[in-house]
Amino acid sequence: MIKLLNAGFTRLKKNKTFWLLCTFSIGLAMIILFSQYNQMITYDSNIEIEQLLLNYSPIIGIIIAIFTSLFLGAEHSEGAIRNKISIGHKRTNIYLSNLIIITITSILANLLFIIVTAAIGIPLFGGITMEFTKLLSLLGCSFITVVAYASIFTYLAMIISNKTINAIVSIMIAFGLMMVALTCFNILNAPPTIQQATMTNGETKVVEIPNPKYPSEQKKKIIQTLIDINPTGQMYQIVGRTFSNLKVLSLYSVCIIIVFTGTGLVIFKKKELK
Amino acid sequence: MEIILKINNLEKKYKDFKVLNHANIQIEKGAIYGLIGKNGAGKTTLIRIICGLQEPTNGDYSLYGIKNNSSAITTVRKRLGAIIETPSIYREMTAKDNLIEQYKLVGMPSLEGIDDLLKLVGLENTGKKKAKNFSLGMKQRLGIAIALANNPDFLILDEPINGLDPQGIIEIRELILKLNKERKITILISSHYLDELSKIATHYGFLDNGSIIKEISNEELLKKLEHKITLKVKDEKAFVKYFEENQIVYEVADDKTINVYGKYNLSKFVYDLSQKNLIAEKIQETEESLENYYMNLIGGEQID
Repeated sequence: MIKLLNAGFTRLKKNKTFWLLCTFSIGLAMIILFSQYNQMITYDSNIEIEQLLLNYSPIIGIIIAIFTSLFLGAEHSEGAIRNKISIGHKRTNIYLSNLIIITITSILANLLFIIVTAAIGIPLFGGITMEFTKLLSLLGCSFITVVAYASIFTYLAMIISNKTINAIVSIMIAFGLMMVALTCFNILNAPPTIQQATMTNGETKVVEIPNPKYPSEQKKKIIQTLIDINPTGQMYQIVGRTFSNLKVLSLYSVCIIIVFTGTGLVIFKKKELK
Repeated sequence: MEIILKINNLEKKYKDFKVLNHANIQIEKGAIYGLIGKNGAGKTTLIRIICGLQEPTNGDYSLYGIKNNSSAITTVRKRLGAIIETPSIYREMTAKDNLIEQYKLVGMPSLEGIDDLLKLVGLENTGKKKAKNFSLGMKQRLGIAIALANNPDFLILDEPINGLDPQGIIEIRELILKLNKERKITILISSHYLDELSKIATHYGFLDNGSIIKEISNEELLKKLEHKITLKVKDEKAFVKYFEENQIVYEVADDKTINVYGKYNLSKFVYDLSQKNLIAEKIQETEESLENYYMNLIGGEQID
């Protein structure tokens, strides 16, 4: 395992996609800071630095999907996996070492964003007002969600041998998770009543009627659970601080990590490689 | 003689299609074993199974005496180097970076020896050129260098000369011979290029429809391919005595048939025999090519 990790990180250091990921994370932090600073100056608005620190979270799933499919996709397409197996590395170790590399890279990208945002943002917008332990638990929870993303996209990259198909599927799933989360939020945020205009004797009346799309309590619970399980749903709740229980979100993330890694290991161990 | 690889009744099925059908192979230490078969005969599947990429449906194999179902099989694979179909190369890296990567992967204590390996395969002057810009022959040689990073004593090369130009073929052939002679590496090389294999192999396995239909040493094969005069005789003893006295290479096939190997003027040969009162009932002169031999083995089907 140590040898696999050593080789993996050596490759990472020389990998263009990795440096592109780092540059993107730093660049995005600076773009957000610049636009927020402009907004503060123009509208004299108050910008919370802790909010900015979490701003990478909603899109990081897509970034991890792209990076993982390109970095690990090459492992299949360039024959690296069959090389590792033929020289005596165990399939379990190959899978886990790739998961570790993707996890560390994803967290590093998130950290780079946070460090740049904090280093430039605190002098511009002032210090952190939120209780420090609360901020740490928010960041900690988002990191666990990042690991959940890493486990999903590592699973796909190890199971799908074709690099292009893997990239397409991974990116579609990342966007799919986002679409599902947004749809669920829309349903939950539906108002209990809607206004309806009726015309009686030439007179228009606006009346409040119950919203037929307003979810029942049971449906609300199901949808909220779907949002809690969905890593992108978790990220939206962390950024918006709309979660009811942070620990539950982390618990779901841990479940995702266990399920995807466990299933991935079983499938990869039996996979017929070419 | 130590057996490096022994394959017993290996079978591989993809749904209802049998790719390997009771294949049996035995490779001795120090051999260059040529696995010959037309496209689709099962060569690559066999190699994939040996390298642990696929599991056999039935049968087994042992590497250095360790069976494939033993947990120690991954340990003995550390003594193996392989190129399966295409070399395992990171295209965005230089030759040296690819070797550094492989050195770390096999856990070499230092990076010493990388320059020697590059020199061995003739890639010492590639500098910062990325592997994606290499010619096919260069990629193949880099693949071999990568396969040699762990100092293997068994090298598996699947179709290493496919697509190479004549110069590339000569380079790979010389490299294989050098590795076998100087580093004492046992080599399993699969190909459908009979002529090329015949220039390097010490042993052959002919694979057809998933089965090894013949295993033969180079010496035995050369004997079969040599110019041959077959004599049908009544008393083989008198002929044997004459051949012994005149140092003529011969083989008594049965008590009425003697094969004489070597190139002789048939008229003069018969005349010389008659001078000694050695009269054959029937004389037949034959010369078989490797291709003919192979075609006869597989029952006359065309090789791809």
